[in-house]
Amino acid sequence: MSLFAALAAATPTLLARQARAARAWLCHGIRLPLLVGAGLLILYPVLFGSPYHLRLLTVSGVYVLMVLGYQLIFGQAGALALTQGAFFGLGGYATAILGSRLGWGFPATFPLSISLPVALAALIAVPVLRLESHYFALATLGISQILLLVAIKWEALTGGSNGLTGVPGIVLFGAALPRGWPLLLAVWGMVALGAALAWRITRGRIGRAFHLMRENPLAAQSVGLDTGRLRLVALLLSAAYGGAAGALYTHTMRIVSTEILEFSVMVACLTMTVVGGRTSIAGAILGGVLLVHLPEWLRFLDRFYLIGYGALLLLMIVVAPFGLIGALERWRAWFVPEALPDAPPPRAPPARRPAPDIARDTAPLLAVRGIDKSFGGLRALAAVDLSVAAGEIVGLIGPNGSGKTTLVNVVTGVYRPDAGTVALAGQSIAGCTVHDIARAGIARTFQNLNLVDDMTALDSVAVARRHDGDLAAARGHAMALLDRLGIAAIAMRRCGGLAQGLKRRIEIARALALEPRLLLLDEPAAGLNPSEQRDLAARLRALAGEGLSLLVIEHNMPFLMTLAGRLVCLDHGQVIAAGTPAEIRRDAKVIEAYLGIVDDAAPAFGGAQPA
Amino acid sequence: MEFLQLLINTAALGAAYALVALGFVWVLNATSAVNFAHGDLVMAGGFVALALAGMLPLPGILLLPLVLVLMAGLGLVFSLLAFFPLKDRPPVSVFISTIALGIIVSNGASAIFGAEPRATPPLFAGGVVALGGLPGGLIVSRQAIAVMLVAALLIAVQYLLFARTQFGRRLRATAQDRDMAAAIGIPVDRMIALTFALATALAGAAGLLLSNSFFVSPTDGMNYMVKAYIAVTIGGWGSIAGAVAGAFLIALFDVMLPGLPALLPALGALPGADWLFSQTVATILLYVLLLVILVLRPQGLFGEAVQRRA
Repeated sequence: MSLFAALAAATPTLLARQARAARAWLCHGIRLPLLVGAGLLILYPVLFGSPYHLRLLTVSGVYVLMVLGYQLIFGQAGALALTQGAFFGLGGYATAILGSRLGWGFPATFPLSISLPVALAALIAVPVLRLESHYFALATLGISQILLLVAIKWEALTGGSNGLTGVPGIVLFGAALPRGWPLLLAVWGMVALGAALAWRITRGRIGRAFHLMRENPLAAQSVGLDTGRLRLVALLLSAAYGGAAGALYTHTMRIVSTEILEFSVMVACLTMTVVGGRTSIAGAILGGVLLVHLPEWLRFLDRFYLIGYGALLLLMIVVAPFGLIGALERWRAWFVPEALPDAPPPRAPPARRPAPDIARDTAPLLAVRGIDKSFGGLRALAAVDLSVAAGEIVGLIGPNGSGKTTLVNVVTGVYRPDAGTVALAGQSIAGCTVHDIARAGIARTFQNLNLVDDMTALDSVAVARRHDGDLAAARGHAMALLDRLGIAAIAMRRCGGLAQGLKRRIEIARALALEPRLLLLDEPAAGLNPSEQRDLAARLRALAGEGLSLLVIEHNMPFLMTLAGRLVCLDHGQVIAAGTPAEIRRDAKVIEAYLGIVDDAAPAFGGAQPA
Repeated sequence: MEFLQLLINTAALGAAYALVALGFVWVLNATSAVNFAHGDLVMAGGFVALALAGMLPLPGILLLPLVLVLMAGLGLVFSLLAFFPLKDRPPVSVFISTIALGIIVSNGASAIFGAEPRATPPLFAGGVVALGGLPGGLIVSRQAIAVMLVAALLIAVQYLLFARTQFGRRLRATAQDRDMAAAIGIPVDRMIALTFALATALAGAAGLLLSNSFFVSPTDGMNYMVKAYIAVTIGGWGSIAGAVAGAFLIALFDVMLPGLPALLPALGALPGADWLFSQTVATILLYVLLLVILVLRPQGLFGEAVQRRA
């Protein structure tokens, strides 16, 4: 009886709590407007059910599918590919040729219309993907133009400028899908599938990896991300989406002509992506639906509605570079701040990997032998030798331009040395890629700070946790690392607005997230006040106590004196002295190298702080 | 004799392409952004000349100064719309904004002038002239020779402007390092705006020169833009001399490949010769050549490898 009474009394509060939770969920971010938008999209064909409107919405779905794919290469991977129209056209032609000439059915033509563009993407990937931005855009444009010209020229296959007619509709399990509602639902069903796949791929850690890669490829490689592979996957997937969209377009139109290979298709796709938003699924849907309907609203421009397209594209890129969905997110954050800020995840210290027992090894952990590196006529490094033992902290000093950062770049694989060897734990790493070296156990920070402004401190670290199964685990581990560096309090802040000292420590945490054996720090104390410097030195000593080796570039001698057991001094690319801090301090050549040059970066022997 | 005729046609086309490529590379250097609408500006120059010719029945050479001035003005407007609002954003933003403006220019031209190809008036006079004395008589078009001369003149003036004047030095300084130029007191924004004006004027001149023999239609922009883009890529990104060399190489391809059957009748007799030695196949082969060059030398034929600073 009393139990029943308790239940009866508890139910309203339980319901109230659920209602509160639902409300909190709904008010988070831009969920409410997105849900309203989704509702309107569903209402649209129900209210305006004319064949004309159903067809417009079907075509919208086709474009949304193409844009979802384009978002992967352009939005996620950040590569301005101009091939999406070509993938679309190739998929369309495959469906038309196989369907109308050979009479093949949908179950055969659809997979082929997807695989052909993917095969083309794989074919062009090797030469094209390593090109820098503008060359990449031109090369992809060239490929698209070749496809268009071939379609015009190869009349026997493609019907030339007249195109092909009589493309069959979709027939599935013996049932033909007529135009109108059935085709509409089939196309939007594919959109749903495509959106689900894109969502699975880009949410979580991989999404963060793409974010870091497009903003800062070098930083991405330094945390062990294979940027080439990420770009390849994005290109292949975009081709698959483009091919599927082209096939569905041809099934909808029942004809195909060279128009679908023209640059205007690519422009339409680009415009939809920029207008909707480059990375969000809602953006793809909004952009696709909006821009397919735009010509209808711009009827007064007659067939020059493309002027409207151009004006809209220009306006969006200037006013709202993140697209309508991105603008909505930003407005929400500015005008209606979240009632409850995102809570940081609980700390989960990563399980330590069993450290290889190098202490008993006679070989040093890092062995650099006879490194030469020239840039044009400038010899930046000349026969440099350097070694770091396990658990040792080595300081690397030298005037500006003496080759310190160049040496770090050689060790981490950014530069290829002209001569010499680099070995980690006895294994040569010369010629390895940046991400392979990072994975092998050498992590670094950057003198000029390579963080992404609109990424949180937490995610900046979590992105480096390649082995963690999901984002939640990676964030838990990242939280523990931020805590180790004493900056757990800023975990949910975005990096852009943080002080330099905090950014440096985020970079150190990110480097530690790799669980490296050797950590290369490029001026870690710059921008830190004296008490912060002492704090950082204590934390770094603790890390070394656990067996981590450190190579620290620093101009700040008081900081380095308390930290490093051994110093190496570079001047004009050569090692001019090596020894204990006390020895180095007295070394005539070191004093000359610093004092012989008028240099504001001369080490502060007296204890004054450099700027 | 056919060979000499083809060579003169190549030189004329190459000189006009060089004007296009030079405008492209100047904007590229000043802003480190690709002007995707550059070809549409060439097309616009053709239509501006056409509109002027409709009002003033003058030979092309007298219309040229007017075209240069009007197109320079268009270039200023262009920079205000497509570049300055985005000057602090990544170069890809400018790339997209110029795609947008290109669409507006080409569809605008289509709305005003219609889609049919039209011809601008010749520079001096049309027709052909027999170059005397030679056995067999070398017959070349007057327009080809005039195009060659006028383009060479414009390139020479440009060279003097950039190499010998203080204004040119400032432009080059801006192109080389925008921040450094600003630090030594060069009004960088004004220089960039002037670069756009100059580049667009050059594009307009090229439009006037090309649109007599090759006609002008609103969809031509893409072709010219890609040719300039390829010329600059072949010649080395940002290299002035390389861009001119690239332009002549492309012209060689454009003229010589379809002209091969005329040179070697044996080739013309091959099965499928009509198909093979066509403008379309020449363009396809040009793209393939571009891809091969990019694969083998990502820094361009004459460019130096640039190493990234970490």
